[in-house]
Amino acid sequence: MKIFGFHLMPYQGLSQDHLDSTDSTWVTLSNAVFDPARGHALYQRYLDELVAYDHAGFDGVCVNEHHQSAYGLMPAPNVIAAALIARTTCQIAILGNALPLRDHPLRVAEEVAMLDVISGGRIISGFVRGIGAEYHSFGMDPSLSRDRFYEAHDLIVAAWTRPGPFEWYGRHYKFRYVNPWPRPLQQPHPPIWSPSQGSGETVDWAARNRYTYLQTYSDIETVRRVFDGVRAAAEGYGYSLPPGQLGWALPVCVADTDAAAEAIALPALDTLFNKLIRMPKDLFFPAGYTSAASAARIMASRSGLGSGIADVRELVERGYAVVGSPDTVRCKLEQYQKELGFGVLCPLFQFGTLGHEEFASSLALFAQQVMPALRPLGTG
Amino acid sequence: MTGSAITADYVDVRNIRIWLARGGDDGPPLLYLPGTDPDGEDPSLPLLSRDFRVYRPHHPGFGRSDDDPAVDSVLDLAFRYLDLLDALRLDRVRLMGVSLGGWIAAQVAVLAPDRITRLVLADPAGLRPPVPVPDMFTLDPVELAMLIHHEPQVRQAAVTSVCEMPADAERFTRYLRNRAATAHLGWNPYMHDPKLAGRLHRIGCDVLLIWGASDRLLPPECALAWQQALPGTRLELIENAGHRPQAEQPAAFAALVRKFLA
Repeated sequence: MKIFGFHLMPYQGLSQDHLDSTDSTWVTLSNAVFDPARGHALYQRYLDELVAYDHAGFDGVCVNEHHQSAYGLMPAPNVIAAALIARTTCQIAILGNALPLRDHPLRVAEEVAMLDVISGGRIISGFVRGIGAEYHSFGMDPSLSRDRFYEAHDLIVAAWTRPGPFEWYGRHYKFRYVNPWPRPLQQPHPPIWSPSQGSGETVDWAARNRYTYLQTYSDIETVRRVFDGVRAAAEGYGYSLPPGQLGWALPVCVADTDAAAEAIALPALDTLFNKLIRMPKDLFFPAGYTSAASAARIMASRSGLGSGIADVRELVERGYAVVGSPDTVRCKLEQYQKELGFGVLCPLFQFGTLGHEEFASSLALFAQQVMPALRPLGTG
Repeated sequence: MTGSAITADYVDVRNIRIWLARGGDDGPPLLYLPGTDPDGEDPSLPLLSRDFRVYRPHHPGFGRSDDDPAVDSVLDLAFRYLDLLDALRLDRVRLMGVSLGGWIAAQVAVLAPDRITRLVLADPAGLRPPVPVPDMFTLDPVELAMLIHHEPQVRQAAVTSVCEMPADAERFTRYLRNRAATAHLGWNPYMHDPKLAGRLHRIGCDVLLIWGASDRLLPPECALAWQQALPGTRLELIENAGHRPQAEQPAAFAALVRKFLA
């Protein structure tokens, strides 16, 4: 199994008033709340924590993109990736660049190619649409999200693989000269990953292109259903899905005992799931972001992360996070791997309110007592 | 006064099927462009049908009409409505639009001033509001129904209707499609075209502005922007009405329209 350490870089330091309220943590939470001096210290610490994944022997680190939120301080994931290149030797997975938000996808092609060449071919290029809130933050028509995503992807891959200059004349992007310098080091291009919460269209798209499909924030039954869907889609495209093409990203917390791990993790998960992801449904799923049929299902359901308060102990029981002693975490992950067949795991050791000491101790226990048992699983 | 039965069916307009309600069998033709949710109950339609041959379409991409891949803007829609007038063999018409439909109607009148004899705009979108306005795209369906209606009974009925909608999957899917289509036209710039104000002088006919006095989605102050671009245009406020005076005060609304268009 390949192990990639994930980090969201949450802003720690929100007022109790905000945490106790029902106000959105996205789009409209005033940036007057952001303290740049605190931000500086957090970036130093979080970069150190990403480097710690490399030192712990992980295959790579994961960074991602979100905007106008205390949920994460990485609006520009390529900037964080650049800051990590000189301090690491492992792979760097950018999960991802939110393509439809860019007016100029060639900028993504250029930046990722630069990172790949500078790092000596260590870049994994994730492509995402961005969550609904991003379309409010960027004033971007959500009804074009999926179309722009597909076309931007096609353009970027063409820019990486077809000798330029050539003309691109699409519905959303028109360029007379596509000819980016540099080209990526990895040939034909850096591996492409597709992080998603399991929409049917994305599952099909990832399977068709043989990209690694990465499931985020889901209960275990959803993960099972979606992974079965990816496998079925691959069969439909005439191949048998290798485990390395299935990944799962989730919060993980290891401590000496189950009780100790829960005492550390549950309050932090409460902050993550009930406060940092909190936003009204119409920010999460703006008009046109999903098909009308999907939107009907979403609007009709009262549950879902981000709206309403989830019981974090129940979330852990349902598999949104893995929490416990080294034995418990190892057994659970071995069991999940056996049942679900994934070959990529992206654990998140810092989440919500967790401090550096808690992060470091959880990571060390995982690296020493859990990871070795996972390594032989899900290979090939 | 004649019978006011409303019929509706599809009209083919350059291979796009537009759902078109018709009311009234004599009187001059009136093209009536509805707002963002054309499926909703519209009590003004039978009233207007007493004096006019009313044509009330669902915009392409909305309601029961087909998606139209050529439509990315209100300008595109306005061209499509000129195609509709051709398909209906209507050379010159009275034109009325409410809310989003007001924006489209103004754009049609700018494009083809010779074909529009009178223009009524009720609570129209289309110009940049001179005062801060709520962002409809951050409101859920219940919040939006609360905001746009003024009369407690009408508001309660609208909220109930929205709450019951998920039980009718087809209607609910159409409603969500209307929201997506609205986002496509008006997400950014928010529900207006910055170029429109500078083009309104091309409208050649008399214009009547109607506004719900208690419109909280596009407050009556927005009328100032229209009056600035169209000097001398009369504004009629309808008391005890929010963003949909045609639904909340249909008799007062129809009386104003009838008087102006007669």
